[in-house]
Amino acid sequence: MVTVPTACPFCSCGCGFYLLAREGQLVGVAPSETHPVSEGRLCARGWSAHEAALWGDRLRQPLLRRNGKQESVSWDEALDHVAGRLKELMNAGKPVGVLGSSRATNEENYLAGRLARAGLQTNNVDFSYHPICRPLLAGLEEVCGKHAPSIRLNDIASSQVILLTEGNLAETHPRAASSILRAVEKGAHLITVGYRKTQMARLASLHLQATPGNEGEVINGLLAAILDLRLQDRTSVPIGYDALRRDLETVKGTEEVRQAAEWIARAERAAFLIAPSCGPGDQSRKDAAAFAKLAAITGHLDKPASGLLPLLARSNVRGACDMGVVPDRLPGYDPLDDARSRQRVQDIWGKKLPSAPGLRAESLLQSVSGLIVVADDPPSVVPIGQRAMAAMERIEFLVVLDAFLTPTARIAHALLPIASLAETEGTVTNMEGRVQRLRAATNPPGEARTGWQVLAELCGRFTSSYSSASDVLREIGQAAPGYAGVEQRLSEDGWGGALLKDFDRAKLVVQPTRTTGLAALTSVERPYLLARDVAFDWGHDPLVSFSPTLRRDYQSERKLFPNGFVEIGKGDADALKLSGGRQARLTSVHGEAMVPVLVRTDLKPGLLVVPYTFRDRVSNVLGTEGVTAVKVERA
Amino acid sequence: MAFSIEKKAVTKWLEKLLEAGEVVAPVRTPCGDVLFSTIRSAEEVVWDFPNPLHPPKEFVLPQTDPIVKIRRNGQHHEVEAIHDGTRRFLFNARSCDAKGIAFLTRMHEMEPADASYLRRSGNLTVISLACATPCPLGFCVCTDSGPFLSDSCDAQLTDLGESYLVEVGSAKGEAAVAEAQSLFRKATEDEVSRRKNLEVAARNHFGEETCHFASAMRRISTGRVPDALWEKMGDWCLECGGCNLVCPTCYCFGVKDLGRDGTWIRCRLRDSCQYAAFTLEASGHNPRALRKDRMKRRFFHKVSAQYYTRDGTVGCVGCGRCIKVCLGTTHMPAVVAAIRKGKWHE
Repeated sequence: MVTVPTACPFCSCGCGFYLLAREGQLVGVAPSETHPVSEGRLCARGWSAHEAALWGDRLRQPLLRRNGKQESVSWDEALDHVAGRLKELMNAGKPVGVLGSSRATNEENYLAGRLARAGLQTNNVDFSYHPICRPLLAGLEEVCGKHAPSIRLNDIASSQVILLTEGNLAETHPRAASSILRAVEKGAHLITVGYRKTQMARLASLHLQATPGNEGEVINGLLAAILDLRLQDRTSVPIGYDALRRDLETVKGTEEVRQAAEWIARAERAAFLIAPSCGPGDQSRKDAAAFAKLAAITGHLDKPASGLLPLLARSNVRGACDMGVVPDRLPGYDPLDDARSRQRVQDIWGKKLPSAPGLRAESLLQSVSGLIVVADDPPSVVPIGQRAMAAMERIEFLVVLDAFLTPTARIAHALLPIASLAETEGTVTNMEGRVQRLRAATNPPGEARTGWQVLAELCGRFTSSYSSASDVLREIGQAAPGYAGVEQRLSEDGWGGALLKDFDRAKLVVQPTRTTGLAALTSVERPYLLARDVAFDWGHDPLVSFSPTLRRDYQSERKLFPNGFVEIGKGDADALKLSGGRQARLTSVHGEAMVPVLVRTDLKPGLLVVPYTFRDRVSNVLGTEGVTAVKVERA
Repeated sequence: MAFSIEKKAVTKWLEKLLEAGEVVAPVRTPCGDVLFSTIRSAEEVVWDFPNPLHPPKEFVLPQTDPIVKIRRNGQHHEVEAIHDGTRRFLFNARSCDAKGIAFLTRMHEMEPADASYLRRSGNLTVISLACATPCPLGFCVCTDSGPFLSDSCDAQLTDLGESYLVEVGSAKGEAAVAEAQSLFRKATEDEVSRRKNLEVAARNHFGEETCHFASAMRRISTGRVPDALWEKMGDWCLECGGCNLVCPTCYCFGVKDLGRDGTWIRCRLRDSCQYAAFTLEASGHNPRALRKDRMKRRFFHKVSAQYYTRDGTVGCVGCGRCIKVCLGTTHMPAVVAAIRKGKWHE
């Protein structure tokens, strides 16, 4: 039996385990007590991490669409065809683009970015999860600089106070939830902010009820209450207290908010965890900034064992950002218009970089004529859902690199089979900024190749090529200075994992911004709020949908509700005479939809929530928004 | 029957066992963990180690266990059982794990007997290493499954300093010794008495972890655990299923066919009764849709008098693995204490 240490491919906690293989076939997972994050503890996804690669619909040979059918071809033919068609489109002046992925490795993402910028001469490069987390990351950046000062997941267990703005942490980031349970068991105060009384909220010392998309209302209340405590000596960060307080003049806090503020302000060790919100982008960015300010002015961003973590759903969101798979960023997450960074990257790639900012993922999907999708199924990830699929079906030349036969792979003009997590070499960066190695436990099936190899070959058809994954990582160390030396640090045996030291306390900026709450959306005519659940939908991810054990939990509800459902609180359901499974008619300014309801006891009155996976069922009602006012009737 | 083997001769014994079959033993990985794995040479075997988190039940009940091959033949399907007939020696298993495998074997022997399991366990010789130093989180004294064994293993080694005492408990154990009979000599009375003293000393050196099954059994068997308590404990479980997956006595499974080119391999997959859809029925009805009900079911199976009567023991060997892997805080000793006291975190 072969035992291969590797990093978990699911959420961004970055746990580690051994993949077990026998006679060239994956057979299981074994926990590791010595892994610095997981310490022997895994969630249900981690325990079944070997399954998708073994049981999934795997892609085995390169395919080109001819006469309406995907036909198998040789690698050379496939790669030449891809390069040729993309060059044709470029020569015809048609827009092309690349989508990297938060489930791809750093090496794959870096090469995807290089292929776009140096090869295809475009900044049309992004990743599908980015629309969800962009406002959150931008808000934290306003206060903390490029990356927020992370608290280690294990340090959360010794926090005295934890402020958690969540979707549903126990489901999205079980390893983080595990640390919180340990802290609460030891007497820590857990303060949850959210619209649902989740498992974490039930264990909290205080649950501060928020309106979906307007979590800032609570966060600003906390900020104002903390400013009122006048604890100037808590941090060396220069803060204009009076200006900040004036900015929050209209904010009124409750007694609970004041109690929470007191706990946060007095704690020696505190953890601040924030998930993406379903609110409008600008509001979400401001709310995230307010959240970071809260941590900064209480001094928790400049001491050990305290800090902040953005709760990014997928394993390598941080890595995708660091590799510059973002339309306005370069490797190192440096701004595209930063002259020094541009020069640095140009010197390495030997090519002048395009200067015009590229299109963001959702626009990119709907505007380009040629698109390369690396290891992802955009319609299951981007908020616009099946509209992305409709857009991709119109694309003149769609290239997909994936290990699995996803819906996107099915419509590709060129389908390039790559290795899954269990067969690849490379690195991923978790939410703490820990770079970890993936190691191959088996060979890829059929003629599939590792993703970095395929992308390097494509790069080679435009620019240059590489001989190993380590080669790519070495170059990443030059292009993204934070990763300098990582290749060497990871070459040693053992888990290790290179923690990036990228936070510079001197860059903390706490300035007043014009605080505007989200205007009340509801009216007499439309008295309910319909919100798109922010918790990531793992059910459509191939790592779950192809795992016999995991898909059962995620898909059982879908089988029972083939037309989807929206969740409604018990009180509202009774008032509207809606029982579980009954159709409701939802009407907003955007349109109308009929959808079954599921009655929940953890939702407050006036609120309906649609699970992310069923967002397409109410896309007429939501329009392009994550939360909107609706009229609800029994259909 | 007790033998003695000089420590320096153990390598030769292992070499003989390697010639006779597959040897599984604790080995240290480059990352510093100890895992049970097949070895190629005697030098790989670790002798001083905390019990690995990953249990050696992997070698009787693998996470992915091929049981039947199905082939299409014209209009028909041919079905052929897959039997793992490899002769295997599990070397340096800890006492709790030897007890766990014996528990699993008793369960799979019940009618209808599980031929696939029994073929594998029938070919497995368990050579355990008695625990002179109890592991920090172990509580095998509470479950009669350690630190030393008087049954349930084919042979038990005890470290006597310069040699190992080898107590043979079955014909398979005898055969394992017979593979290198010349390396063994009959144990002296002094050696047997030193082993007894080591056991007494080990029993006095357990850590803080204890698990009082008897009073918990009384309460759970007579329905005296309030629903509110299960509900409260349910919030401290993150449904990782780790407790089941590493438990030496858990055997829940799912079945899935791995198909390719007209042939399917039907596999038994290790599963967890704590997963929400584990008991989901085809109709859509789920008798244990709520976490508190799944948890209640798990501990009823592990601790109740009803199962104790059937199995002759509680469904726990006190290895302490669930304490380490539990993503929440609802491991065996914590829940047994809560059942016994009727309260959780108060």
